[in-house]
Amino acid sequence: MPTFKTPFQGYAVKFSPFYEHRLAVATAQNFGILGNGRIHVLDLQPSTPPSLSELLAFNTADAVYDLTWSESNDNLLASAIADGSVKLWDTSLPPHQNPIRSLHEHSREVHSVDWNPTRRDSFITASWDDSIKLWSPDRPSSVRTFREHSYCVYSANWSPRHPDVFASASGDRTTRIWDVREPTSTQVIPAHDYEILSCDWNKYDPCVLATSSVDKSIRVWDVRATARGPLTVLNGHGYAVRKVKFSPHHESVIVSCSYDMTVRVWDYKAGGDVGGEAAVAVYDHHTEFAVGLDLSVLVEWLMASTGWDELVYVWQHGTDPRAA
Amino acid sequence: MSGGNATPPPKPWERVGNSSGPTPFKPPSSGSTSDVVEASGTAKPGEIVPTSEGNAVVNRNTLNRPVPARPWESNYGGTYGGYGSSGLNYNSGYGSGLYNSVGVGGSYGGGLYGNNMYNRGGYGGMYGGGGGMYGGGMYGGGGMYNSGLGGQMGGYGMGMGGPYGEPDPNSPFGGPPSPPGFWLSFLRMLQGVVGFFGRVAVLIDQNTQAFHMFMTALLQLFDRSGMLYGELARFVLRILGIKTKQRRPPPSQMGPGALPGPNGQTYIEGPKAAAPGGWDNVWGEDSNQNS
Repeated sequence: MPTFKTPFQGYAVKFSPFYEHRLAVATAQNFGILGNGRIHVLDLQPSTPPSLSELLAFNTADAVYDLTWSESNDNLLASAIADGSVKLWDTSLPPHQNPIRSLHEHSREVHSVDWNPTRRDSFITASWDDSIKLWSPDRPSSVRTFREHSYCVYSANWSPRHPDVFASASGDRTTRIWDVREPTSTQVIPAHDYEILSCDWNKYDPCVLATSSVDKSIRVWDVRATARGPLTVLNGHGYAVRKVKFSPHHESVIVSCSYDMTVRVWDYKAGGDVGGEAAVAVYDHHTEFAVGLDLSVLVEWLMASTGWDELVYVWQHGTDPRAA
Repeated sequence: MSGGNATPPPKPWERVGNSSGPTPFKPPSSGSTSDVVEASGTAKPGEIVPTSEGNAVVNRNTLNRPVPARPWESNYGGTYGGYGSSGLNYNSGYGSGLYNSVGVGGSYGGGLYGNNMYNRGGYGGMYGGGGGMYGGGMYGGGGMYNSGLGGQMGGYGMGMGGPYGEPDPNSPFGGPPSPPGFWLSFLRMLQGVVGFFGRVAVLIDQNTQAFHMFMTALLQLFDRSGMLYGELARFVLRILGIKTKQRRPPPSQMGPGALPGPNGQTYIEGPKAAAPGGWDNVWGEDSNQNS
């Protein structure tokens, strides 16, 4: 399956919710510590063998840590930049007319951005300044700021079934669930004993949430009964789990990528607490940290990953990502 | 914004019903997210902006708030400003009477050391001038943010004076996004490191000078206080009528350039009183004369 070599280290990859052949990649120079960033918009060519070609690229003066496609406009991209800004890009315009908007309110690096998939008119950003901000693309400033976490917020994700609810994962070892209509978070889950790097909602069960942490584990929670502990603990990664994501097509399938350079596929309902038999597949195609991961909403089992080996892989589950 | 599609294809999970039972969340509100947040009263005061358009069209012609200065620009301005001001401090510190108190002899406050001896006036002036240069030139370029707010390409013409004057790469308006290259940012970092060590070196130098002045002043204080003590003591003893021993022999007893010794004896070039039968006169017949 096709690969694409990016000049910088990859940080995030996202499939377009509109076109099954399009995806965007966020990259950062020098491992995101110092230097520029670049956003690539890639097209999957249906040739045999399929190949990835670059449609266009946007340069930024700072590392790009995350991006998301708009759910309301097929050309709009929102990106999280390391200088604390959130930039909106229009892929129908040439690079010199981009970004079309730069929203600078976060005081430190913005680490995650997520577009509301149900109401489609807003997005949230999570930043290392311990805050989460809610934005609407037709406004010049943020709609709301959510400040409760006591350490960096690494990820914030909308519930796919409720237009007002989102969850956040933070380095203060808690996951919080928020309702944009409530002044404070509606729930605090002390989910791990170490920093939580990522969280995601089950697409079919609005009460199930997965968190991934520096403690190498993924925990699946029922938000109605978090006091009883996680539904399942998925162990197997050798290092911190950078990103966890529920499959859009299968209720119990989770994919994750980790600093142990692997991408893993899990069936969280198959395994017990040990999680040994929950592991469905392990992909070790990356030769450096696997940082970005996405599953196509439009094509079943089409996966994409990127990492610090500066490669973007797109492959069908069950095939070897490295096979040409 | 061009592009036809306003809604993506339905998500796979949206095609199936809600499989789960009751959820702990309040039922969803209708309306846009901004309206929902404002209706709930949780938006921060001052952040409520009337929604201009219902759909998500990004209005790219106006930006209603100024784009803040990028960190590296303001940092570098600040660094050089600080450098310049420290140079001025340096200058004024050496120019003031600090050195003047360390006069020689009795010329206190004579201004002998004022600016010339340690020659720091030029040092301070140089750094001060550098600060002025950066402050002036760079912030002149900074005005381009304001001018860029009005129109789409407004911010492009200004600030061509130097590497800091290039158009803001993050501005949504203006010229093509040309981010600073790796070498440029690396060199800026290096510049910061060098500047740091420069400041440390200047401070070490200043401290050394201050310590030196302190020690010199202390030694001089001891010296002068000893003399004062001797003078006062002699005065007091004279008043009390105690005859102090004359420290110096009468000038008539001293040869020219001779040093006073104990008992008024002169050592170096005075006439020698040869001991009888001494070795000094064994060679000459004048030994008989002198003895």
